[in-house]
Amino acid sequence: MEHSQPPADSIETPGHAALMVKRFPDGAILSEDTARPQVLVPKERILEAAAYARELGYDHAESVTGVDYPDQNEIEVVYHLGSYTDESLNGTVMALATRAPREEAPKPGHDSTRLPSLRGTFYSVEFHEREIFEMLGVYFEGHPDNRRLLLPEDWADLPPLRKDFAIKGR
Amino acid sequence: MSAQLPPGLQLEKTDERIMTLNVGPQHPGSGHMRLIVQIDGDYIVACDPDPGYVHRGEEKMAEYRNYITNIPHLERPVIHDSCNILYPYVLGVEDILGIEVPERAKYVRVIASELNRCVYTLYWLAIYGIFLGHSTMFMWPTGDRELFIDLLEKMTGARVTHAYMVPGGVRNDLPANFEDVCLRQVDYFEKRIAEYADVFYDNPILIARTENTGVLSRTDAIRLGTTGSVLRASGVDYDIRKREPYDVYDSLDFETNVLRAGDAYARSKIPWLDMMESCRIIRDALSKMPKSGSVRVKLKPNPKGGEESVYRRVESGRGALGCHIISRKKPEPYRVKLSVGSFRNLIALPYLLKGERLGNMPSVYWSLNYWPVEADR
Amino acid sequence: MSVIAPNFRLSGFIRSILDNVFWIIVLVTLAGIPAIQIVLFYIEMPVIDGELLTPFLALTWLADPSRVLPIVKALMATDLFRIAVFPGFGLAALLAAGTIFVERKMLAKLQLRVGPFYCGKFEGILQLAGDGLKLISKEIIIPAKADKPIFWLAPVAFVGTAAAFVSLIPVAPGGWVVADVELGILAVFAVIGFFPIITILSAWSANSKFPFIGGIRALHQMISFEIPLILSLLGVVMLAGTLNLTGIVESQDSFPWIVFLPVGAVVFFICILAELERIPFDLPEAESEIVAGWLTEFSGMMYGLVQLGTYLKLYAFAAIFTVMFLAGWHGPMIVPPFPAEIITDGIQLGPVTATIPGLPLFDQEMLNGTIWFIIKTVAVIFFILLPRGVFPRIRIDMLLSLGWYKLIGLSFINIFIALGLLYAGVLGPGGMI
Repeated sequence: MEHSQPPADSIETPGHAALMVKRFPDGAILSEDTARPQVLVPKERILEAAAYARELGYDHAESVTGVDYPDQNEIEVVYHLGSYTDESLNGTVMALATRAPREEAPKPGHDSTRLPSLRGTFYSVEFHEREIFEMLGVYFEGHPDNRRLLLPEDWADLPPLRKDFAIKGR
Repeated sequence: MSAQLPPGLQLEKTDERIMTLNVGPQHPGSGHMRLIVQIDGDYIVACDPDPGYVHRGEEKMAEYRNYITNIPHLERPVIHDSCNILYPYVLGVEDILGIEVPERAKYVRVIASELNRCVYTLYWLAIYGIFLGHSTMFMWPTGDRELFIDLLEKMTGARVTHAYMVPGGVRNDLPANFEDVCLRQVDYFEKRIAEYADVFYDNPILIARTENTGVLSRTDAIRLGTTGSVLRASGVDYDIRKREPYDVYDSLDFETNVLRAGDAYARSKIPWLDMMESCRIIRDALSKMPKSGSVRVKLKPNPKGGEESVYRRVESGRGALGCHIISRKKPEPYRVKLSVGSFRNLIALPYLLKGERLGNMPSVYWSLNYWPVEADR
Repeated sequence: MSVIAPNFRLSGFIRSILDNVFWIIVLVTLAGIPAIQIVLFYIEMPVIDGELLTPFLALTWLADPSRVLPIVKALMATDLFRIAVFPGFGLAALLAAGTIFVERKMLAKLQLRVGPFYCGKFEGILQLAGDGLKLISKEIIIPAKADKPIFWLAPVAFVGTAAAFVSLIPVAPGGWVVADVELGILAVFAVIGFFPIITILSAWSANSKFPFIGGIRALHQMISFEIPLILSLLGVVMLAGTLNLTGIVESQDSFPWIVFLPVGAVVFFICILAELERIPFDLPEAESEIVAGWLTEFSGMMYGLVQLGTYLKLYAFAAIFTVMFLAGWHGPMIVPPFPAEIITDGIQLGPVTATIPGLPLFDQEMLNGTIWFIIKTVAVIFFILLPRGVFPRIRIDMLLSLGWYKLIGLSFINIFIALGLLYAGVLGPGGMI
């Protein structure tokens, strides 16, 4: 059977990064690549931005990455959104990023490193957000199950993916 | 002793009806993880998966090593599928460093990753067999797996942990008589794999046991963000090899397998059908591959990337495998995130097990194509 | 560098061996030989050739080999011999050991591997002995909160019940059965009825969750399959007109009952699989769900005993199938008749030229019966083993619906067939055939 699937970057997408920033002017475009649009949205607008991404056709979150930026004193959370239902978006993964303040002495769950949870919009972020909570100390408000996932129950050190958690010998 | 113990260490409150079972991590039916299952009689009331038993901090380790030395340890989460788990990382690093891969190397990569997909799927199938109490189905795939392991050993020099993919191509070229040996093994394997249907997939007891158990509807499969065989068993035709072809998949002749039932039987059948497609891909790639040429672009020692963030994904044996690499002008990546199919499919487990019988737990759990070590990373 | 025994000295090692040898000699001389003497003097001896066998006569067999055979024959007539060796435990244990070996090799061939291979010169024939030694030498661990007396009792009771089951089976014509109970088949049902009790007792006394679930499953399974098991044998009982197992075998001298009651035989065979917890009915030991079911907490030789009991039970069920449906010991005579001079004159042993009268120990009928019985039983065992390589495990709801709806229905059909044959006057006491 001959499949004439066009290559990913020639799919006619209406520039989703631009659309997002038009809707949320306080956001920033990180990349306008049609296959991988990247947008940064302030954390107050992230729920609306997620709802808008859902309107654009993205129906699930593939991956949620937490990145620690000690030099900017922020922790970034990147949601990679994909679509199964919209054929034209099949090759597109939108990176929707937001940032939370970072604390020098973190107390996970009890400090200002908080973000609204996207579980209401994208159900599939449930375990990913739990992982980020334990790995970076970002508490997700509205997440029903903010427990440990991968780390041992009695882990009492810093969240390990923060840059100030140093590996021994490195 | 503090009053508030973590959830796994608390003493159980004995309820009148509900019994809590700790299935795993030392349990023949759990893999390297724990399922906290609450049962009422024979019915599962709630299931709380607790991964992390083999968490090794691959992502943290990747931040301390440069782009090339990351390769051998990033394949560790799934040593049976090591080519596929390295694939997105290597593609991402090539994007960051701006490398164009030679044509022959692309074909070699596709062959290696398809062979590896068969190795993984056979291992998975073997465990699915023994989870259902079918010991012949444990031994047959484990034995037939040797065919592909031998081929990969010829290609890469190692039986399981190949570290074959490198940015810029593959580590070494194919041996001289590889094509003939590979075709012979694949021909034999295609005959063997048809016999699996006789002993396993057409077995009336198996069908009665797994049909209509753990049904994941199409809507739920999309909502939960499942991937790979779980998604395709629920009727969503989504294969990254087709939807976002990487390397030379767009020039190869193959099809995706989709079933509509969404039950444990369909989920267990999809990987088996995929292996047949893999054989087709291997044969096609061998015929279309340039017979000579370079397989590797020489890199500068200790290459540095620009300031960018790359997300590449491939279709692995367990579904979409994404790799998010953030580079900040250093020889080491600033952050590497592996978004693995196992971790994404795990979310469906509590969903599917609720209300099932305890006897369905292993079949539903393993039909999710879940590899605990990969999910923990 | 570390060594295993840092203070090892060869002289000390040799001295310890010599010490042991010395004490063994002392103990045997002071206690062993008197004990043998006392036993010989006080045990009641059989009467042979009108002459009471005294210890003196018994010990003179070294000088006169012709006395050996009467002694052996006298021993073989005792109940102890029947219980421990021939129709009882010895034969059953031998067949059970053979079953384990054949099972492992056959399964291995089915799965394209070699199975036990290195232990023993030929095809790993000593593997079972090795496994037994390993089990004996292992530590027995009992859960802290277990009900210890019952937990200890369970494996012993299990083997005991299995052995009681074995004792009811008639193996050869001429009264070769340990316990020839008049209502033999009822005794079989009574013995089978003990297994769920033992299972649930051991599962409960372990005070652990997985054994408990396994025990409950075993209870469900055994009880729901006992009813079709009993019903499926009723047809045979009606046609044979007796409950005695020897009588049932004798009623099949011209044809086995499986010819007329194939439905009952199939039902009974499926019930055997379920009662034995064999794949596809191994739910009480379902490994991937509940670890090892009710055997989870057994370790060391306690587990070994349960395994021994299981294989004894397997032999016993296969033998009951043979007795009920396959005509027991009946079969064409394949043992050649003994030369008459053996019976009258005895055997001339080559250079010694000693004449041993009194041979053979068994008559021709008995040998032939035993051979046929064992051939049939082994065939049934083979069919019990076969599903293990072919089927996956089934689920408890499928199991119960199979037991309660289908098998009970089929066994009633079987009873109606038997009644029809009986009232039509074709078979049964006073029938045409």
